[in-house]
Amino acid sequence: MPRWGMAADLDRCTGCGACVTACHAENNISTVGPYQAMRGRAKHWIRVERYWEGEFPDVRLKFRPVMCMQCGNAPCEPVCPTYASQHTADGLNAQVYNRCIGTRYCANACPYTVRFFDFFNPEWDKPLHLQLNPDVSLREVGVMEKCTFCVQRIKAATIQAKADDVELKDGDIKPACVQSCPAQALVFGDLDDPDSAVSRLSESPRGSKLLEDLGTQPAVTYLSRQTLA
Amino acid sequence: MDRRSFIKLTAVSGTTAALASCGNPENQLVRFVPDEDIVPGQATWKPGVCPLCAAGCGLTVRVMDADKDVVRDGQAGVVKIYAAKKLEGSTDHPVNHGGLCTRGQASIQVTYHPDRITQPLKRSGTRGEAKYEPISWDDAVAELVGRLDALAGAGNQRALALLGQARTGHRGLVVQQFLQHFGAPAPVRWEFFGDDLLRRANALSFGKAQLPTFDLANARFVLSFGADFLGTWNSPVSQSHGYGAMRQGRAGIRGAFVQVEARMSQTGANADQWVPVRPGTDGVLALGLAHLLMAAKVVTPASAARAGALIDGWSDGLPAYSPDAVEKLTGVAAAKVERLARQMADMRPGVAMIGGPALAHTNGLFSALAVNALNGLMGSVDQPGGVSFTPQFDVAAAARATGTAPGAGASLEQWAAGTLAGGSGATQVLLIDGANPVFAAPRAWRVREALEKVPYIVSFGSFLDETSALADLILPDHSFLETWAENVPESGSGVAVATVAPPAMAPLHQTRATVDVLLDAGRRLQKPLNLPWESLEALLGATFAVLPPAAEGGDAWSEAQEKGGWWGALPAALVAAAGAPAASGMTPVAFVEPQFDGDAAQYPLHLLPYASTTFYDGSAAHLPWLQEMPDPLTSAMWSSWVEVNPTTAATLGIRDGDLLEVTSAHGTLQSAAVLTPGIAPDIVAMPMGQGHTQFTRYATGRGENPASLLAPLTEATTGALAWAATRVKVARVGDPDGRLVLFAGGSHEEGRHGPGEEHR
Repeated sequence: MPRWGMAADLDRCTGCGACVTACHAENNISTVGPYQAMRGRAKHWIRVERYWEGEFPDVRLKFRPVMCMQCGNAPCEPVCPTYASQHTADGLNAQVYNRCIGTRYCANACPYTVRFFDFFNPEWDKPLHLQLNPDVSLREVGVMEKCTFCVQRIKAATIQAKADDVELKDGDIKPACVQSCPAQALVFGDLDDPDSAVSRLSESPRGSKLLEDLGTQPAVTYLSRQTLA
Repeated sequence: MDRRSFIKLTAVSGTTAALASCGNPENQLVRFVPDEDIVPGQATWKPGVCPLCAAGCGLTVRVMDADKDVVRDGQAGVVKIYAAKKLEGSTDHPVNHGGLCTRGQASIQVTYHPDRITQPLKRSGTRGEAKYEPISWDDAVAELVGRLDALAGAGNQRALALLGQARTGHRGLVVQQFLQHFGAPAPVRWEFFGDDLLRRANALSFGKAQLPTFDLANARFVLSFGADFLGTWNSPVSQSHGYGAMRQGRAGIRGAFVQVEARMSQTGANADQWVPVRPGTDGVLALGLAHLLMAAKVVTPASAARAGALIDGWSDGLPAYSPDAVEKLTGVAAAKVERLARQMADMRPGVAMIGGPALAHTNGLFSALAVNALNGLMGSVDQPGGVSFTPQFDVAAAARATGTAPGAGASLEQWAAGTLAGGSGATQVLLIDGANPVFAAPRAWRVREALEKVPYIVSFGSFLDETSALADLILPDHSFLETWAENVPESGSGVAVATVAPPAMAPLHQTRATVDVLLDAGRRLQKPLNLPWESLEALLGATFAVLPPAAEGGDAWSEAQEKGGWWGALPAALVAAAGAPAASGMTPVAFVEPQFDGDAAQYPLHLLPYASTTFYDGSAAHLPWLQEMPDPLTSAMWSSWVEVNPTTAATLGIRDGDLLEVTSAHGTLQSAAVLTPGIAPDIVAMPMGQGHTQFTRYATGRGENPASLLAPLTEATTGALAWAATRVKVARVGDPDGRLVLFAGGSHEEGRHGPGEEHR
């Protein structure tokens, strides 16, 4: 059984936001419009954070793509009264939409603020609905949603490999954000496979994990941006 | 509904799997038999070409079944169709290598946009009222043909004009051949962020009237003057791919990157050093570096060859550009200039690039030539880790097109002035192909007034925007997924590329491919144009057939349809001539102070309208995913804003989110303030893209258009718009009013940006 993880090389990431739109396209994330967005209800399973340092003219800006960290010890899981937020054998924090009763405890518990509540039923002005991905369920009002590492892609590739009677190779599975990244800053794979690209990157001396001291055991490793000596 | 009619209804539709559980006819689900053989739940992947910019990234389109709403014989229902679901970068495409930018990802919404024009339309209201009535394709094309016949009959063929984006490739060829064989002048090209100035500079310096390609993956030092090469400029996905490899793709080598610009762009945010310069002085810094490199005998002036000869004082080592002189002009400290020169000398191969705001000044050509000379001096031209030019597939030669290629068409400014002046040569019939100058051209050019004087306007656009809303006839094009898509990338690849893709899905609406409409109209004229191609597909078949196949005994056309294009080494006969004007005889250029519109005392700040990461020049503002995508530097969604340096803001009493009034000598607008340290105190910046008065439900009436403030200053030699040369004044006019929507909520006190703030 693999243990899925990701590495984000901040020395490659350009902050372009391709991952954000790719995620919307893949995962049927509805847009909420300006009024609801103003009220903090826009949903972006992956976002690009920015950190300004210094004052003009000695200014630096650092980008950091942030998605669900798929924690090994996830604060969102024990607080869920219905086991909608639960851990899978391959290391994902699954969100079972039809168990979710919308207590939003998980979003309160998550230190990364990567969980998004559906305050209303999603809407697509027709015929925008023709684009919807049949592999991803739509979330209705009162449900919490979040990054799944594109579990539908993981499943599809796993099933296909089984049907073809071949071994899954490192790199066969790419979540939509990883696939789209122009600078190849994001790498996905099996952390239990010592030869996978993500395993090697996760052991880089440049690596660190977000809010790791909380004991969350994130499955996402950030490789720090370097500076010119 | 009563019981009787309910039973009647279910009885009638019972054979069509009616789902009338609520007894409500709206809830009936009538399924019609599909027109094509559909295997539900099974995805296929087809090639495609991204339409949203000229870079021409290759796509892989995921196609699956979907339920489309239809009405058949008065009965509403759904029918299964094959529909594109997701766009991904084509993995082996030499431009984008599998990646795709945020706009490319969102371009699928062009196809499914609820406000797409679904059939030919004829104006029924007054001009600009945007009232239209449906018309059949036969009548519509007949109307166009009638207008063209009238011009030809009167011997007034030159009164036909086409206003469009600078298109190349096969579509560009058909447009050009149509106009040329009819006897009309060459197309009027318009793009707000057009790069014709840089093409001209490259023609002068290197003999290639073409945008450059950078081998970033092998560079150790990248110096960019204003070019947003990781976001919006030139071939951003190709350049981002190279950038990632430059940073972390080589064991033990990490390339360095310095960005020179006065407002930190998304690209500039990634630089190791960010060097703000005074507007319009980028060329001075480039020559200052060249001066130091020559003085230190790292390189000799002669190594720049022709590119150096264009610069005044080059062979003498550029004595006028000493570090102190550079500091005085650019505001960059002499010590910093010296350090940069040392880095350039030490970290080789290095490459310099220039684009965007650095060129949008009255002295833009000088800056471009200066950077070209610096590249020549560093030996970066056509070398690994340097700059080169993608060999161009000569589509006209491959298609055996006849006639001589036309020269450059009139500029938009010239066309508008000529049309307003009237006279015998004035445009009588205007074709609009993908340009929206009413939105972005300076008001002083009076493009809208010129368009209103044209008796007959035809638009091929898929959406009503500020320009196409003036059209008398709209002949909507297919979306890029519904027709043959093609592109011959000008840059971004080391080898020659021609991208092509068959339609990925059947057209959703009653639309027609514009190239086919032109070819059809050409055949139906009283004096037919006799263009030798039946359709775009036939033209593509003819041109790709002459390319060398990859497989022994194969044919390049079949291969190209399969893999989404052709790339490789071009036979010499198929390489397009560079079309370079001779550089000899040109007086060497020296720095001239840039001109700015507006008195410095009355208008103390420079206005920088910049290419938006999400909307580019505004042509992508109609896509809801892009409207709701947080801007990388501010996290703003669905909004416009004005970026102000905190020091300037303090002087003017401006706090984050406050409502500002920005005024130039040409216009005024109100927008929210975003305080940011990444901008010089004498500059305010606004993203282009918002402020549409007419551009679908998602963009109309949203935000402000900085182009409405712009002065009509141009670069003298090329006529390129100097869009960074307008001065403005800024005043606080009110508290935050909720018009600025931020995803991050701001790093500021609760509630500063409007009501609500109830995150999650």
